[in-house]
Amino acid sequence: MSEKKRSRLTAGTFMIMLVLIVLAVLILLPFYSIVLASLRPGTEIMRQGIGLRIDPSIMSLGNYRYVFTDERYFTWFFNSILITAIQTALTLAVSAFVGYGFAMYEFRFKNLLFICVLFIMMVPLEIIMLPLYQLIVRLKLINSIWGVILPSIASPLPIFFFRQYLSGIPKDFLDAARIDGCNEYSIFFRIIVPLMKPSFAAMGIFVGMNSWNNYLWPLIVLRENRKLTLPVGLGSLLTPYGNNYDLLIAGSVFSIIPIVILFLFFQRSFIAGMTAGGIKE
Amino acid sequence: MKHVKVGKLLAMLLAMCMIFSLAVYAEGSGDAGEATEITFWTFQELHVEYYEKMAEKWNEANPDKQIVLKPTVYPFEDMHSNLLIALQSGTGAPDLVDIEVGKYANFLKGDIQLLPLNDIVEPELDNIVKARVDIYSKDGNYYGICFHVGAAVIYYNTELCELAGVDYNEIKTWDDYYEAAKALKEADPDKYWESVEATDIWHMWPLLAELGGDMTNAEGAVTIDTPEMAKVLEFNRKLVDEGLAVVAPGGYHHAEEFYALMGGGNIASIVMPLWYLDRFTNYMPDLAGKIAIAPLPVWEEGEPRSIGQGGTGTSITNQAKNPELVKEFLSYAKLSQDAGIEIWNTLGFDTIRTDVWAMEDVTHADNKFTEYYVNNPFDILLEIKDEIVAHNNGENLPQALDLMKNEVLNRAYTEPDVDIPAMLAEVQSSVIE
Amino acid sequence: MKQKRKSSGGFRSLLYSQKVAPYVFVAPFVIAFLLFYLYPIISSVIMSFQEVLPGQVRFIGLSNYKNLFRGDFVKAVRNSVIYTVITCAVLVPVPILLAVFLNSKQTVGKNTFRVIFFLPALVSVVVGGFTFRLIFGEMPTALLNSVIGVFGAKPVKWLGGPAPWTTFFALLVLCCWRWTGVNIMYYLSGLQNISEELYDSASIDGAGAWQRFFYITLPLLKPTTTYVLTISIYGGMAMFLESRMLFNGGRYPGGQGLTIVGYLYRLGWEQNRIGLGCAVGLFLLAVTLAVNLVQLRVSGFFERR
Repeated sequence: MSEKKRSRLTAGTFMIMLVLIVLAVLILLPFYSIVLASLRPGTEIMRQGIGLRIDPSIMSLGNYRYVFTDERYFTWFFNSILITAIQTALTLAVSAFVGYGFAMYEFRFKNLLFICVLFIMMVPLEIIMLPLYQLIVRLKLINSIWGVILPSIASPLPIFFFRQYLSGIPKDFLDAARIDGCNEYSIFFRIIVPLMKPSFAAMGIFVGMNSWNNYLWPLIVLRENRKLTLPVGLGSLLTPYGNNYDLLIAGSVFSIIPIVILFLFFQRSFIAGMTAGGIKE
Repeated sequence: MKHVKVGKLLAMLLAMCMIFSLAVYAEGSGDAGEATEITFWTFQELHVEYYEKMAEKWNEANPDKQIVLKPTVYPFEDMHSNLLIALQSGTGAPDLVDIEVGKYANFLKGDIQLLPLNDIVEPELDNIVKARVDIYSKDGNYYGICFHVGAAVIYYNTELCELAGVDYNEIKTWDDYYEAAKALKEADPDKYWESVEATDIWHMWPLLAELGGDMTNAEGAVTIDTPEMAKVLEFNRKLVDEGLAVVAPGGYHHAEEFYALMGGGNIASIVMPLWYLDRFTNYMPDLAGKIAIAPLPVWEEGEPRSIGQGGTGTSITNQAKNPELVKEFLSYAKLSQDAGIEIWNTLGFDTIRTDVWAMEDVTHADNKFTEYYVNNPFDILLEIKDEIVAHNNGENLPQALDLMKNEVLNRAYTEPDVDIPAMLAEVQSSVIE
Repeated sequence: MKQKRKSSGGFRSLLYSQKVAPYVFVAPFVIAFLLFYLYPIISSVIMSFQEVLPGQVRFIGLSNYKNLFRGDFVKAVRNSVIYTVITCAVLVPVPILLAVFLNSKQTVGKNTFRVIFFLPALVSVVVGGFTFRLIFGEMPTALLNSVIGVFGAKPVKWLGGPAPWTTFFALLVLCCWRWTGVNIMYYLSGLQNISEELYDSASIDGAGAWQRFFYITLPLLKPTTTYVLTISIYGGMAMFLESRMLFNGGRYPGGQGLTIVGYLYRLGWEQNRIGLGCAVGLFLLAVTLAVNLVQLRVSGFFERR
């Protein structure tokens, strides 16, 4: 009996592994092809598009040399890292605070306010671009990283996520803490925040990724070449009437590398947090 | 334990970033000195190179009026919307800006936020192609100056012409052109005589202009539903249906797929403006020595054989801090003879300075263009110089272009059994006034 | 702690009271909402009744709304709705399954897979869109066409081809490529909240793997699913940059690939009709909000616990 069960399990596991491996290969395929393209002269894109064939005779690191000697590229790079780091830290802090308020308390206007959270999630930036720009000008934040960061500091997605996440914590838990003499804020900072670590990990990646990839708003706020972020800078290499392929493709590939390294570096902690944490009763 | 470490690490990273940022931003502030800063926006990094070169020359010639050019390159669409926002808000616009001609009408609406350039343009009118400043004008005021004429010509792949047994110099009318196409088909059914654009207008516009048609009228209204338009599209459709023309892979003559097909020597001719010269040299190196430039065929003898197409009008915004100096610089960088020569040398454009066209030592000097092409572009330009018409640039041109690129051309060339006049009427009725 | 509280003044004790605390918690949101959202939105509502030109802003009544249904508006709405439906249909069930697989003890190399699945999310739309445009190129040598060519299929014009499904397929692939890993992360995080003991006792009661999945995992993942569905609906309806990158900066043959925000951008910014753009945007806002409110009500989101 137990023999049988075990063999069925391994068959199931085998199938699962097969699915996972196939998916992983498919997901990696675009990376592979773009890395390959980055090692070829830009005109090869025209001759054969991007493909899977390795042809060492036309491959070189020339494009990367071009990227590394183009000073703009690293300025953009640094700007992106700076904005991403600050925005992620601030957004996580503020959103966790707000999300906790929504999850743990009953108060007047709660549902109305929460509908406001949902509401702003759905506002396309394209229609509030003009008034928001005028506001940022009046706040004297134009051409500054704070003009990029501040408007999305109380970001609806993380608030919503934290609220959902914290809904799992039983309320008697809080009452117990109150009896122990904690005030409302120390409950949050001392008891809840440590419990939220797995969700910080998930949201940290999410917010960081959004900020790293943010395109339209930084483009409007930042007004000098040396302050642009990487997606905007790379976007400026794409024009409808002629692209700078050499810099574009190698620059694109290289733009992925540090964020991947950062992710690999932290992912052990993410995963550890996720599996160790979790809210149990 | 582990978590604490990660938290600390993050905090440290953040702190470092903030300190670093303060340092970076503080460092940037005090370097202006006596030179005047001119902020400049463009969507094309090649234009930056050009202007920087001109600024250098300017500084050499004008020690008392030093300038520092501060360029910013934005993505194409977004630069224009960014400029709209800044002009609408009255703050945040650059001194000097490149505006693409298809978008220019957007900036001539309402109270115009660009400075009139009449005092620098009018003295030079005899030396330049007037149509190339007219397209950036409203009510007698000139607001922008173009880089190039953008004269429409036809590029022939001489190898395929030989294969078809056709002398491209003998192709005078579109009927001749059609016969040549059939000759190529017989010689090699896998090759195409020409390529038509389904998501852009460079190919069809000159054909329309020869007939006196246009996409907007003098009052600025959209005029898509005209007999001339129908005639042009039906002719192109016929070539597509008979396998003589291919709908440009990727939709237009700037798509990677098109460069591949054209560069692989599969298409015998394309109708494009002269500024397309550097696309051949940059993206289709395999065709070097095989491409000849010729005037367009016509429908009837006596029709004008070209139209000025595309272009980038450099303008000065009303937010410019030193408008007079910027104007002087712009005049030098865009209108002077030096500028005309430099525009050809660095950008490979057919400059609007007509006196440069006849300067053989400039136009026939060895460079990557004269080496690539069978004949010299300026010889063709001189031949057609009195036949280059201008198009209307009314308020609704951006809308007309959107309709052509997204709707009309695609349907005209690919929809099965399309009734072109009926389709044009349908699209015309969807115009938003 | 207690000492401190007693010694502080009336304001402080008010601030620390259980009645006021929730308002303190949500205050940052309220401030940001009023400043960065409500004010601009009210401005755009006003602009939707105006013709907005430099120095010449004037009210034109309902004209913008009357013009709403002209042009490609209907096409754009249809495209956005289809895109939203197909992406939700894929991006909810598939990540749940994958998350369960990746959470299972038997799976080997879990971390590696998690990392691989998440990688695309780190790539910006600009870069990803550019790559996929080349992958979905129409030449026989383009990546996808060369792959199907191996199986003897003819090259397909994927983007804006004669059959609309190929365009949606390309958009769906790009979307799944970028977001599957993110949704897996959400579900993995959600799975950590489900206690092992539940599974153990179910196993003892004789429940099989599928039964445990349907009767324990799925119901307990409901809050996560509600969240994922809400953001997917929003993300689907507001999609723009992806299609703009795939279609060479907004050349949509026959309106294929044109989305609501793409249309808004075209009218508002490419044709300088900001008022009309606002009207389109507000329509989008109303529709997405309505759909999401219905979805949240159905899932019991607003019920008091």
